Parts: sequence; C-alpha cells; structure tokens
Amino acid sequence: MKLARSARSGAFVPLTPLVDVMLILLVFFMVTSTYLNLDMIPVGSEGEEAAEAKAGIGTGGAASETLLLRIDPAGRAVLRGQALDEFELEERLAALPNARVLVLPSGFAPTQALVGVMEAAARAGVADTQIVRVEARP
Amino acid sequence: MKLKRPEARPPTETIIALIDVIFFLLIFFMLVGRMDATAPFQVLPPVAGVGAPMPKGGTTVSLSADGQLALDGVEFDRAEVISRVAEAPGAMVRVNADAAAELRRLLPLIAQLEDLPGKEVVLVVTPEPL
Repeated sequence: MKLARSARSGAFVPLTPLVDVMLILLVFFMVTSTYLNLDMIPVGSEGEEAAEAKAGIGTGGAASETLLLRIDPAGRAVLRGQALDEFELEERLAALPNARVLVLPSGFAPTQALVGVMEAAARAGVADTQIVRVEARP
Repeated sequence: MKLKRPEARPPTETIIALIDVIFFLLIFFMLVGRMDATAPFQVLPPVAGVGAPMPKGGTTVSLSADGQLALDGVEFDRAEVISRVAEAPGAMVRVNADAAAELRRLLPLIAQLEDLPGKEVVLVVTPEPL
C-alpha cells in the first residue's frame, strides 16, 4: 500500500527583517535627501554680446552709458559712491536700460552679493552686464 | 456539559500591504533624492530668482565657503581641477559655489575655466533658500 504524501507547504519566509531593512533604508533616504531646486546663470566670457556691444560703439549706434558698479567687501552694491540695496539698485538700473554695467566686485565680497547684483540688473532689463576683475600684474 | 471554546487566533496582519507602501516610498526617495556627490563639503548655492533650468551632464566644480575645491565630489587643488576639467568630456561645467565664498576665489576660477577651449561655464543658483 502506498501512502500519499501530504503536499509540502511553501517555505515560510519571515518578512519582518525585510520590513525592518526597508524601513531603515527609507528613513536613511528621507534624512539624507536634500530638496534643493537648482537653477543656473550662464557665465559667458567675451562672447557674441560683447562683440556686438563693441561693434555698436564703433559704428556710433545707440548712445549707451557705461556704469561702474562696485561691490564692497561687505557685499553692498555701490553706484557713484552711494551704497544701494537690491531694490534701489534695480530702480536705478531700470532708469537706464541701455546702459552697459561693469561690475567691479571686491575680492572679499561673498558670491551672493555678485549674484544679487546680476539678478537686479537682469530684472531691470540691463542687457549688457560685465564683471571686471582686477588681476595682479605678473 | 461545558464545551471549551477554541482560543481565538490573533488576526493575521497584512504585512504585504505595508511592505508595498514602504517599498514605493523607498523607490520614490531614491529617485527624487540627488545622489550625485557633488562635493565632500557643504555648499549652499546663492539665491537668485532669474536662473534658467539646470542642464544635465557635464562636470561640477564645487567651491566651499572657505575656499576648498572639488571636482565631481573629489577634493583637488585648483591646478588639478582645471587640468581635469580640460580633459573631461562634455562642454558643460557647473560651478557650484557657496553663497558665502569670497569672489577672490570664485572669479579667478571661473576665468580659468572659461579659458579652456569648448567649455560652457554656468554658475549654480537656487530660486529659494534652503
């Protein structure tokens, strides 16, 4: 007589350790992820715009004023000897949309100050903003 | 005669549903989180509302608030960064400078990167502070 073997049930997989590991991984990614929305500002060198601007001056195009905007070591924008905040600067630059703005930052000014000035110039509609850097003579 | 009631079994918890949810959350955070180690030090980019969307690809040069430099997550000195960027494929070079980094460190770096042939240099900003 043959005895029928009872069908073997599937191996029992303990799920609790798996859940534990997943939870730890989940917490890890939640804690380490930084939700920083990143944008960029192109930093063009002597490109087409600069060449155009030079050509414009050469051919006696629209008379454009050149403004020298300094950034002091504390990060304040100084225009014609007057320290301006972001809004005042934007207002002043908006009055001269065709002006060429040369930014001369102090080497000790923070990056945020330069970006703030570039932003104000962009908001004011200044098309030609250039950064001037003083380099030590070799 | 009193019959003994069989002990009620505790209801089986539906762990499978829990695992599914946790798994989905895990995948979500893995996809959303930026896992590219752009710098071995902390860099909080400057805030600007006029930035354009960040292009993909290229190399990332990071500059910390106290002047440390890193290329794609590995710390180097400036000469090494410049020579490695020059050899790197792709035109895009992202300069991820800390908002507090001094311009005497940032501007010479950008000038040197721009002098490399065929490279397009962009400055990383964030539209809202962390």
